[in-house]
Amino acid sequence: MMSTAYKTHLPSGPSALRNVLTLAAALLAVALFVQAWIVVQARPQDLVTGAHGMADIISRAMPPAFDQFKPTLMPVLETIDLAIFGTVFGVLLAFPLSILAARNVTPGKPFYYGARAIIGITRAVPDLVWALLFVTAVGLGPFPGALALAVHSVGMLGMLFAEVIEDMDMGPVEALTLTGAGRLQVFANAVVPGVMPSLLGIALYRFDENLRSSLVLGFVGAGGIGFELLTAMNLFQYPTVAFLLIVTFVLVACAERISAYLRSLVA
Amino acid sequence: MSATFGTTGAAAFDSNAARQPQASTRQVSRGVALASGVKLAVRDLTMRYPNGHVALQDMNLSVQAGELVVVLGSNGSGKSTFMKCVVGLNRPSAGSVEVAGRDLSSLSGKALREARLPLALISQHANLVRRRSVLANVCCGSLGRHRTLATAFGRMPRDEVAPALDHLAEVGLAQLAGQRAGTLSGGQAQRVAVARALAQNPQVLLADEPVASLDPEAADEVMRLLRRLASEDGLAVVCVLHQPDLALRYADRLLGLRRGHTILDRAATAVSNREIADLYMADA
Repeated sequence: MMSTAYKTHLPSGPSALRNVLTLAAALLAVALFVQAWIVVQARPQDLVTGAHGMADIISRAMPPAFDQFKPTLMPVLETIDLAIFGTVFGVLLAFPLSILAARNVTPGKPFYYGARAIIGITRAVPDLVWALLFVTAVGLGPFPGALALAVHSVGMLGMLFAEVIEDMDMGPVEALTLTGAGRLQVFANAVVPGVMPSLLGIALYRFDENLRSSLVLGFVGAGGIGFELLTAMNLFQYPTVAFLLIVTFVLVACAERISAYLRSLVA
Repeated sequence: MSATFGTTGAAAFDSNAARQPQASTRQVSRGVALASGVKLAVRDLTMRYPNGHVALQDMNLSVQAGELVVVLGSNGSGKSTFMKCVVGLNRPSAGSVEVAGRDLSSLSGKALREARLPLALISQHANLVRRRSVLANVCCGSLGRHRTLATAFGRMPRDEVAPALDHLAEVGLAQLAGQRAGTLSGGQAQRVAVARALAQNPQVLLADEPVASLDPEAADEVMRLLRRLASEDGLAVVCVLHQPDLALRYADRLLGLRRGHTILDRAATAVSNREIADLYMADA
């Protein structure tokens, strides 16, 4: 019989052992979740008892202070500019760094490890911490926020750019090398056109991310809508808070749509 | 330009006619050296890998201008190692590889790059830059002659555009010059790769399984083109193939490899199907 013939070729692994391992993995996953529940001191009942307080804040925030539209324009621009500055500088620094950090095009191992170290450090420290450091160094305002976004973007973009370059099709690179083209010529004519659409897509996505981050950076004095939001909350101006949250939502949604559209164009 | 690609049916193709050299205006305009003489000379080539495996043993081959030599052999017979040694990707353990009179086997770096200029390679995959135009891809073949700052920033040499269009016309794709390379079919892409190789103004053209990923019709077109480049433009063409029928139809000479040894080196017309079958069965 055909079915019998197939069965004789099926792997006859130790199914009992596999079942035990699956059960052990499931128990481990449950144990991990339980310890997380304990460590974060999760109390769902507090959500029920706190609902009254939240309802109170929401009722005091209504109606949102739409009259704050004009004074909010400048912080909105500041927030957008923070993201633009951070992204542009991030791309400018991350691109050369990613070339050194990509195994297939790096000029040498010292460059590779050096670039990877810089990327690792700038990526490991969150942008909020970078903002705190830059606020201490250059004072309050949007500039430390922009610097924080730029430095953190170097790490994030550097790593993603390097991965794209490492994954690229090396066929054209080899083909051009064999025509007698030099390293720079090969890089400009085969590597860059091959990876540029992916890099642009990542950069646009980073802009989207930086816009969200710039909202939070305001909380540590780095300007933008975040700073306005913090001020309004500290002064219990809940209608202003509600309006700023609406502005934030619109801003992020618009940036998301524009970024997605531009990414689709370069894909 | 007279290059056209008409009916490509294998049955309709006259293999003897395919090997007849014909006069061409391309040979003058491209400045390709048509003088007869050995363009590629491989002498006592031996390649022993660090693990002790001998991939090639005392291989000898000389290819004249205008000659198309097809290398046949089963997997592991040494064909790829041979190609890598010729282009300088592998440094042979012994022997020499002379291209247009210059020994490549002991060169490296810039000297190798310059000595390799008369040598062009077409691979199994066209390896085009997919997002660039067909014309830009062809122009890339001339980069070795234009080591300028502008070309290092992705600008193509202006005076190479007209020759590149000629090369595209020669492979029958001038009408696709402005099209993105990524939109081409496999056969078209491979012909653009040939045009890019021609932009190098080579004297020796190596083709490493150029039709392996093509359908029979496209494969026939590419082989017909290689045949013509040898016959009309005077290139010395060495082609690695896995299709004995194409080899018999288009080659002037067949070279058979088995376990790194040359066991067949004869005019294609003097090789029987039986001998080719033996070549592949020997390692089975």
